[in-house]
Amino acid sequence: MPAVLRRIPAGMLSAVVALIVWQIIGSVGPLAGDSFATATEAISALWVLVREATFWLAFWETVQMAAIGFAISMVIAIPLGMLIGLSRFSYRSSKFTFDFLKVIPPIVLIPIAILVIGPTLAMGVALVVFANVFSMAIQTAYGVRDADPVLLETMRCFRMGLAKQIRYARLPSAAVQIGIGMRLALAASLVVAVVAGLVGGAGGLGTFLALTQSAGNADDTYAVILFLGAIGVALSRLLVRGHRRLVFWVGR
Amino acid sequence: MIARRIWHWLLAILIGGWLPVLLVTLWWNASASSENPFFPPLELIWEQFKLNWVFLNVPIHLVPSLQNLFLGFAIGVVAGIGLGALVGVSGAVSRYVEPVVDFFRCIPPVALVPIFILLFGLDSAMRVASIAFATTFPILIATIEGIRGTNLVLIDTASVFGLSRAQMLWRVRLPNAMPVIFGGLQVGFQIAFIVTVASEYLGSGFGLGAFTLIATDSFLILDAWTGVLLLGLLGYALSLVFDIVERLTLRWYYGQKQLA
Repeated sequence: MPAVLRRIPAGMLSAVVALIVWQIIGSVGPLAGDSFATATEAISALWVLVREATFWLAFWETVQMAAIGFAISMVIAIPLGMLIGLSRFSYRSSKFTFDFLKVIPPIVLIPIAILVIGPTLAMGVALVVFANVFSMAIQTAYGVRDADPVLLETMRCFRMGLAKQIRYARLPSAAVQIGIGMRLALAASLVVAVVAGLVGGAGGLGTFLALTQSAGNADDTYAVILFLGAIGVALSRLLVRGHRRLVFWVGR
Repeated sequence: MIARRIWHWLLAILIGGWLPVLLVTLWWNASASSENPFFPPLELIWEQFKLNWVFLNVPIHLVPSLQNLFLGFAIGVVAGIGLGALVGVSGAVSRYVEPVVDFFRCIPPVALVPIFILLFGLDSAMRVASIAFATTFPILIATIEGIRGTNLVLIDTASVFGLSRAQMLWRVRLPNAMPVIFGGLQVGFQIAFIVTVASEYLGSGFGLGAFTLIATDSFLILDAWTGVLLLGLLGYALSLVFDIVERLTLRWYYGQKQLA
């Protein structure tokens, strides 16, 4: 490989190559046509979209759904998880139920949610809460249970009360798991908010995407998906960095 | 010894089981005299469930859903592991491919369905293609990571014994990457299920998702509830099956971990 190429960051180079490949696939070959947007078409469509207020309004709706849903699920799940985690019996009793509810994807509930709540922002929020609350609660409970047993024994020997045990042993151990859970939940919240809009008509970028697709506007469809991917990458970078700072004492 | 083991099993089932039993009983009783059209009595839902899914609508709606799911997932697995093995062997290549794959992985998988509707229309091909495409990326990422992370001592040992590149990949790198790849497979399978349901909501006609959403749109509330119930149970059952397959396939790995 020539030395000039080696100095360009790998990500940039591969992105450029991928865009060129995309452009070629879209221009010649079986996929060329109205139902497939080329790289230049998608990017110029996105360039138009990002200067429109409706696009940012849709984006803001999605962010609202994700953020409110995320906040509600944390407020419910973290205290609930702490309570569950404090006793062995309650932890083992709820583990199966929560694991069961955790693996049911929220998209499954959309038909009932449409009936009961209607295709609104509130429905999107409810789906985000459902998506996060069970996994977050069980993760918190696991963190509470996972506290160092030697530390706990030592504290008991010194007759430190339950409050102190929670403060100095349970919480720090739970914080690690809560951090992991929050990171996953934030990413999931955004995805569920988009899906609620796309499939359930809850508004936001998801509904925006559904409309561009049903209008047969390939350029805008690809543009929105490109935008969603960029947001996803940015969010995941941010979360990894934030997580490292938050629970700095774990790992590296 | 055996009696004790059975006792432990029973206790575990009792402790894990009382809460779901209580919740279902509560739902059953609380809804028994429900007048709310959206929350029909659970008893009626159950009657309708038996009518729909034992086994009248199974060949029309459930079988095609599962067929698409498994076909799409299988294509995604082959593509993901195949490409991942090709890319992961060379550190330089994977450094260049990974950012692009990562970008695709960060797109909400369901958001890819509209692309495939534009390309294929609303039939089965669209569904399988969306599932396969969305499934590929988490598996691809995991395979690249797993193969790159192979223990260097193992590779050196294998090259001392004169293994060819293909043998090295097939007998050393891939088996060693299996635990990591299985992590990708698990994520991929969840995504496959979600995209299956989404592609049926968005495409019209047959399939469990389509059945449920059409029932909702026509205010066939009982049918909609049975659809959601079956989808939920299916989601859980499939993840359970996946866990069991993983346990069986990776038995050597868990054994190794216990020894260490």
